[in-house]
Amino acid sequence: MFNYLTIDYFVSQGVPQESILLILMLPIVVTLIAFFRQVFGIKSFGIYTPSITTFAFLVMAGEAGSKGIKYGVAIFISVILVGMATRYILKKFRLLYLPRVAITLSVVAFSILAVLVLGGSMQRTGLASVPIFPLLIMITIVEKFVSAQIQKGNRTAFILATETLFISLVGYFIISWNVVIVTVLAHPWIVLLTIPINIFLGKWTGLRVLEYWRFKDVLKKM
Amino acid sequence: MLDYLKNRKKILGMNSRYLQYIRPNNLKRAIKIADDKLLSKKVLQKNKIPVPKLIAKITSHEELENFNWDKLPNSFALKPNKGLGGAGIVVVFGRKKNREDAWVKADRKIVTIEDLKSHIRNILDGNFSLSGVPDIAFFEERLTLLKLFKPYAFRGIPDIRVIVYNRVPIMAMLRLPTKESRGKANLQQGGIGVGIDLATGITTTAVQGKKSKIIEDIPDTRLSVSGLKIPFWREILELAISTQDVSGLGFLGADVAIDKERGPVFLELNARAGLSIQIANLAGLQERMERVDGLKIKTIKRGVNVGMDLFGGDIEEEVEEISGKKVIGFKETVKLVGRNGKELEVNAKIDTGAYTSSIDEELAKKLGFEKTMDKFNAIGKTYEELKDLDRNERWRIYRNIPNLASTVMVSSSHGTTYRPIIKLNFVMDGLPVIAKMTVIDRSHLKHQVIIGRRNLSKFMIDVSKI
Repeated sequence: MFNYLTIDYFVSQGVPQESILLILMLPIVVTLIAFFRQVFGIKSFGIYTPSITTFAFLVMAGEAGSKGIKYGVAIFISVILVGMATRYILKKFRLLYLPRVAITLSVVAFSILAVLVLGGSMQRTGLASVPIFPLLIMITIVEKFVSAQIQKGNRTAFILATETLFISLVGYFIISWNVVIVTVLAHPWIVLLTIPINIFLGKWTGLRVLEYWRFKDVLKKM
Repeated sequence: MLDYLKNRKKILGMNSRYLQYIRPNNLKRAIKIADDKLLSKKVLQKNKIPVPKLIAKITSHEELENFNWDKLPNSFALKPNKGLGGAGIVVVFGRKKNREDAWVKADRKIVTIEDLKSHIRNILDGNFSLSGVPDIAFFEERLTLLKLFKPYAFRGIPDIRVIVYNRVPIMAMLRLPTKESRGKANLQQGGIGVGIDLATGITTTAVQGKKSKIIEDIPDTRLSVSGLKIPFWREILELAISTQDVSGLGFLGADVAIDKERGPVFLELNARAGLSIQIANLAGLQERMERVDGLKIKTIKRGVNVGMDLFGGDIEEEVEEISGKKVIGFKETVKLVGRNGKELEVNAKIDTGAYTSSIDEELAKKLGFEKTMDKFNAIGKTYEELKDLDRNERWRIYRNIPNLASTVMVSSSHGTTYRPIIKLNFVMDGLPVIAKMTVIDRSHLKHQVIIGRRNLSKFMIDVSKI
């Protein structure tokens, strides 16, 4: 059956190679996120946000060249910072959740537009040429951030955002790594290995790496 | 380092908390009750478990607009029905003077009806609920603070978290509200968690806040967090086990508070008990739960006893380790080693008011001092006859008595007399003690042996130990 699981077969059926690659990378990225959570204890904003950010980075780097990832990180950080500032300003108005998030998103969108224009006027054409869809996706991340701020407080929200950025970067470097791309293209079935890996992760009861740190006093003094 | 690796098996982490304990023991129906504060209040109340009284609830924006604010008492707690980790709770502890529409919060800030309305709107929209779904807000009675806790708690009510598994209390922690936590006792909000020795209900070590920093004193005070004895300890553990029975949560985090008037009151069921309790107690949950796994606990009292026996006594060992001294109670069993090789076990009273130890005359005779006593009594000199003699002169009278160490003047209700002192060694709490004891008639008293200060240098006394 593995004969059918080759890229050539998919391409001959009319699926673009780019799409095949991205789809095959998805299981790898989400497994990586699950691994970070269960084994390391790095939480991030669920599984959707870090995986979509990973792909946003990938697409940005693909379109805007090697500088794309720098722009991606810069945009991620500015989205979070502007979101944070907007929350402070909006706090006084005591708005309900959705209208408040809508305003935050709009403010973030305007800020990003301003950054793009500013970049263009300073002859940084690379920034202006960052593809729009990944950009929009990154702007919407702010919702996750605002809701984490409300439910878990500023500190936790900030930590979660940092963790999301970290996981997304690791994910980006893995799926843009030539060895991985070549292997996946040559043996697409390898991606199926993520299922047994996830079954193992899902049954794993050991302490997470960060828990060794959290319980260091108990471990020492017990 | 090796210990470090060995100890990791004793600690409960998030992965195994879910897979080994929450998933198999906390059924969906039971979790539903625990996550719904109003529902759990109802279920617990029905089963005669004391809970804070419900004042009012608000289920919709319409109800909020029509709410009669006059019916609120001077102090209350406003809570989201499905809140998590103490988020969204407002504690109000008095009406603002000269104002109809305002109260004072736990952090002394003023809260108006408008503020409460806005907060309730947020609750109704689900901003504090577990999964962001629309929620209900409710007001409940604010418990009154026990005097004992006053210096420890910063404007709030401390509560006691007890982990119950398989009808056995596994670990407990006193949670104290702080300035940082704004009157709430949750660790996640910056409260203090103090470990509790399960056998005695005495606090041990403590951590503060989300980062679980180990602390010695209550912040801004010099009050030590350890050594506080929690009142109603047994009742609290019993209450925790009975709520496990009622709720059906096999792995339960039970929150109990102590009200000044009502005594122990059950606050909250937790289906996903936090893990920081392990840091507060410097002990692992995993190891403790494995030890009670599969035990058949028939009654609540038995459950409390098992928990106390298995997981108590840490303090004593710790004190013994630090001081190098044995911790004893005010009554102890001592093994007296007689002259004739006879060993007798008796209950002795530990009396720090006495310098020398003393023993009942009949008991001394049984231990091989019969001749000594008979000869001493045969001489039968009274106090009046002896009082003007010096030490040597007195000793000349008695020196031919076998096994007599010396004599001593004793004043009692019978008047003042000279009594014999004998050399009599004993073993207490495993430690041999070389002692001299005064022999007196204690036949009318409860304890035939008194251990005085002179023989207590190897021991520390815990008056609460029985």
